[in-house]
Amino acid sequence: MVSNAVLVAIILLLITTAFFTIRTTSSGLIPVNHSGKTTNKQPTFIIAGPSESGKTSLFTLLTSDLIRPSVTSLEPNIAPDFRIPISTKTFSGRLMEFPGHLKLRNKLFETLQNSSNIKGLIFVVDATVDPKGLTPTAEFLFEILQVTERFPNGVDMLIACNKSESFTARPPLKIKSALEKEIENIIIRKQKSLEMIKGNEKTDEDGNLQEEPQVFNLGPNNAFKFESLEGNIDSVEGSVMKKNIDKWECWMDERTVN
Amino acid sequence: MLEQFVVFTSGGQVVYQFNCLGKKFAETQINRFISHLLGSPTIHNDENTGRYGVVEITGNTSTTSSHKTLSRGFCSMYHVSKRPELYYVVTYAEQSLQLNQEAEETLQIGINLWESLGLSEHILGNINGNGSRNKRNCIDVLADLEEKLEKFDKYLKTKYESILNRENDSSGSFSIGKMESKRKTREIKGKKQQQRSGGRIWGRDGTMDEINAQDSKSLDFSENNQQASGSMGHIDKDSFGKKTYEGDFLIKEIDDLLSTQQESHHSNEDKGGSAFGFLRRHLLGNKTITETDLKSVLDKLKQKLITKNVAPEAAAFLCKQVSRDLVGSKTASWTSVENTARESLTKSLTQILTPGVSVDLLHEIQQKAEMRDAQGLKQPYVFSVVGVNGVGKSTNLSKLAFWLLQNNLRVLVVASDTFRSGAVEQLRVHVENLAELTDESHIRGSRNRRDKTGNDHVELFEAGYGGSDLVTKIAKQAIKYAKEQEFDIVLMDTAGRRHNDPTLMSPLKSFAEQAKPDKIIMVGEALVGTDSVQQAKNFNEAFGRVRNLDFFIISKCDTVGEMLGAMVNMVYATGIPILFVGVGQTYTDLRILSVNWAVNVLIS
Repeated sequence: MVSNAVLVAIILLLITTAFFTIRTTSSGLIPVNHSGKTTNKQPTFIIAGPSESGKTSLFTLLTSDLIRPSVTSLEPNIAPDFRIPISTKTFSGRLMEFPGHLKLRNKLFETLQNSSNIKGLIFVVDATVDPKGLTPTAEFLFEILQVTERFPNGVDMLIACNKSESFTARPPLKIKSALEKEIENIIIRKQKSLEMIKGNEKTDEDGNLQEEPQVFNLGPNNAFKFESLEGNIDSVEGSVMKKNIDKWECWMDERTVN
Repeated sequence: MLEQFVVFTSGGQVVYQFNCLGKKFAETQINRFISHLLGSPTIHNDENTGRYGVVEITGNTSTTSSHKTLSRGFCSMYHVSKRPELYYVVTYAEQSLQLNQEAEETLQIGINLWESLGLSEHILGNINGNGSRNKRNCIDVLADLEEKLEKFDKYLKTKYESILNRENDSSGSFSIGKMESKRKTREIKGKKQQQRSGGRIWGRDGTMDEINAQDSKSLDFSENNQQASGSMGHIDKDSFGKKTYEGDFLIKEIDDLLSTQQESHHSNEDKGGSAFGFLRRHLLGNKTITETDLKSVLDKLKQKLITKNVAPEAAAFLCKQVSRDLVGSKTASWTSVENTARESLTKSLTQILTPGVSVDLLHEIQQKAEMRDAQGLKQPYVFSVVGVNGVGKSTNLSKLAFWLLQNNLRVLVVASDTFRSGAVEQLRVHVENLAELTDESHIRGSRNRRDKTGNDHVELFEAGYGGSDLVTKIAKQAIKYAKEQEFDIVLMDTAGRRHNDPTLMSPLKSFAEQAKPDKIIMVGEALVGTDSVQQAKNFNEAFGRVRNLDFFIISKCDTVGEMLGAMVNMVYATGIPILFVGVGQTYTDLRILSVNWAVNVLIS
């Protein structure tokens, strides 16, 4: 009897081994599919924005109540169980902060695509930047929107106008409308620009990687409005350096309720 | 004299900073260093100068960001530690034997001290979630580390001062010519005076005065500065007398600490058992990856990259990055080492190919169109196309022209290839074609109202054949003409040239200086193999220190199938982005590069 049981166990082991060997070798042939591999189901808040807008400082302030000097990030910062500071009910989720450097934005888009429960996205903007120089910021925001607007209800977004303590800081509404205008221009330019190279038959097999650039429909009189988007976009001022981020925390708190 | 010593995490959190000049911590300097590191991937590779990587950042006017700043150049020496990933960076004013040595010593001491105080392990623990949680239920990277950091700060500063003192004793005996360096010497002396009861002042002419402690204190202005910067826990300055002994004690203590650390260094290496190791490597995952595990996998990946036309040099670099990324890390459950390596390779390839600057040509053209020169004339946007013979410069220039014409811009095509017979005629055919495409009523061979080939939208500017001085003459005349006739775009075709022939390459510099093109585009063909690395390098360097190529067009992508390696080679060699790819023979066959597409093709 004992030897029988051992035999069965050995056979089972062999079968599973064979199964997994096949699995790994076959997966060796298929190109690694980043998206869809790990899905993030935890409630998540994401901090993003252009370089030198104060994302890492905000992250440090949110997670440890400290103000610490920071330099350009190379990797995302993640707090796995984050408790919202002023919360009406106990809520814990994930807080992720992504680098703003052009070369490193890929990771953000990947995470956005793979997350199913994004509570909100804090888009940090340097309020002292001249509205005329907002084009790169708007471009980044537009790219994020292209991903988030695919979700059924979009993703709520806070345009966090940082550095409000500065003399040259612009009011949040002005920044919002400047971004709106810039995005409108970007959409018009995108329609005029050359097509993106498409994969031939070979890459169509894993066509889910091949993201079609989604062009937003401009409303009547050819204008882009944040109101027409699925997600709500708010624009609120604040200052990380002066620890004046109550309004942003309130915004986060509101997102956790629903 | 060094400028700053900084330790920061890959997440960008500064865990330690020390401004050696006693000024406020300057993040911008470190940011410039990081963006330089990101922008030129090959620099990681270049470690022949010493134990640590050295990056030289030239001062320039950065016009890319919204605020234009005149920044001065500096040098940084850096070291990246794994697990946790920490960057140790020392910055200093310029490359010189003494400063390099000083930086290397300080960096080494910093790293050793950091390790021996157990700061790294503690930080790793905090990152992995073993530390104490604060009220936000989060663990700060620096939780429970204040004491150790303070100790580190004290030790480092003591050690640094002793390095400075030693160097001063040896180099202070000869007088230094420059005012700048004299000021610095005095600063160093100022610091020295804090340690000794008396000190010396070096006069401008190199004379030397002995002074007593009171004087030295009144001369020391650095104190105010340091207090303003706040957070630095600095050494008590009131007790000069005791300081010397204390300093000696400290140095001994530090040396003891360092020597014990070195002994215990080589003990923690885990070696997986052979049979179980095999299972883990291929099936179970959750294995700590070692150099040996990766070797065969990386060889395989490297071979694959090389079959895809990636130069061996670039492939080796990519594999090195993968091993740097993975050695010591754990594979995820049920993931083989091979798949983990492949994923990491995808990551590095994506990062290499992703442009570091956003290039929105239409936006830039619009912006330039809004500017007026002194006479109130509209400024045309000038492109010039360079490359080796036969890569498709004229063809891609015409494709570009076609796209610009579709956007209702007026284009002047300039035949600055005055060398090869038939080059001008070839462009004339293109211009005729383009004119016909934009305006159906155009009759081939007819002249427009300015008596030139083309019509009102597109026109050819030609001046026959001749030597290299003719090229710059044509370029200047063409821009002047374009201004007068209110063209929006000037496209300059140049002669194809062999990249390793200095006599052919040298005129490019003066051409760029005279014509001042807004964008210099290099056309490279996807067909070329390993040589693409050198091609890109030589063309990029041909324009001198101040000017670089702006982007690449990779032509003939339709002819190579999956062998897109030339793209990686060119970006690897220069760090300059690829903007367009040519995918066919007609005017519409120009596409924007999709990085995801290219990476997938390369990795499949």
